[in-house]
Amino acid sequence: MRILIAEDDFTSRRLLKAVLAKWGYDVVSARDGHEAWEKLQSVEAPKLAVLDWMMPKMDGIEVCYRIRQMEKTIPTYIILLTARDGKKDIVRGLEAGADDYIAKPFDNNELRARINVGRRIVELQAALVEKEKLQGVIEMAGAVCHELNQPMQVILGLSELFLDDLDDNHIKDDIKEINAQVKRLGRITKKLSGVTKYKTKDYLTSKIIDLDKAAE
Amino acid sequence: MAEKKVLVVDDEVAILKMFKKAFSSKGYTVRSAESAEEALEVLKQDSIHVMFLDLNLPGMNGVELCRQLREKRPIDIIYAVTGYTSLFELAECRGAGFDDYFHKPVEVKELLNAAQDAFEKIERWKKR
Repeated sequence: MRILIAEDDFTSRRLLKAVLAKWGYDVVSARDGHEAWEKLQSVEAPKLAVLDWMMPKMDGIEVCYRIRQMEKTIPTYIILLTARDGKKDIVRGLEAGADDYIAKPFDNNELRARINVGRRIVELQAALVEKEKLQGVIEMAGAVCHELNQPMQVILGLSELFLDDLDDNHIKDDIKEINAQVKRLGRITKKLSGVTKYKTKDYLTSKIIDLDKAAE
Repeated sequence: MAEKKVLVVDDEVAILKMFKKAFSSKGYTVRSAESAEEALEVLKQDSIHVMFLDLNLPGMNGVELCRQLREKRPIDIIYAVTGYTSLFELAECRGAGFDDYFHKPVEVKELLNAAQDAFEKIERWKKR
């Protein structure tokens, strides 16, 4: 999982980066609040962030505020890193939108445990989003199958009956083609009605449901 | 040979018309109904033992209709023709007493084979 660390102190940043990489995280780092804010706005922004409170250009609190103003399907899980551990400061940090805080100097095991909590939350939210999307797809598939199979039934049936009655081979070939294409449509709606997973594939610049994988 | 009658039930007139055409072309007498309630009326008046029921019907659905019919008609052949498969699972259809189950769009050929099968079975059972 990707994680952002924002820390202006070079040594602390290097240490954090090294330890997080050791724990298997894909680390993105920022030297100040402004850089952190920019990285958190990108399309591929990490869902987990460890922000130092005191940073040049923009402090951790301001980054929290701004992130919470954004509409995100999966909200960023923010851990505030702070030398301030007075109750007032903790409250201020959490109210700004942080999910958790760690007082400096921190213990590595505590950091790891708190990041793990964040990871769990992010994974749960991702699973929930996936579930909701699948539900939407299944409902849509149901509507599409229901609405399309009826007219297809009429076209398929009539083309079949027409073929039985016809003698003209030219027309027969065309009707056969109509018949074959409706059967093809029927295979598509059948696949649609078997969708059980949310799987997408790239389509031009966006994504569409990958019917083969979604209905496996 | 005795008259072979089938009942087709579907809430869409275009589908009923097409099924009528298909079955009549093979010599069957076709009765139709646009709802389960209408189907029950038709069956009261006419002696029919082979039927094709759409499952998604206004009012009583096809599964309920089959369940009701089964109680008094253990020997009849009742087929389901369904538009949306996941809505009524195969198990539910078997439980309700359907003999077989077709997905729309289904080829007329398949339905004709099913009808032929049905009448053969009924004939065989009668001879025992």
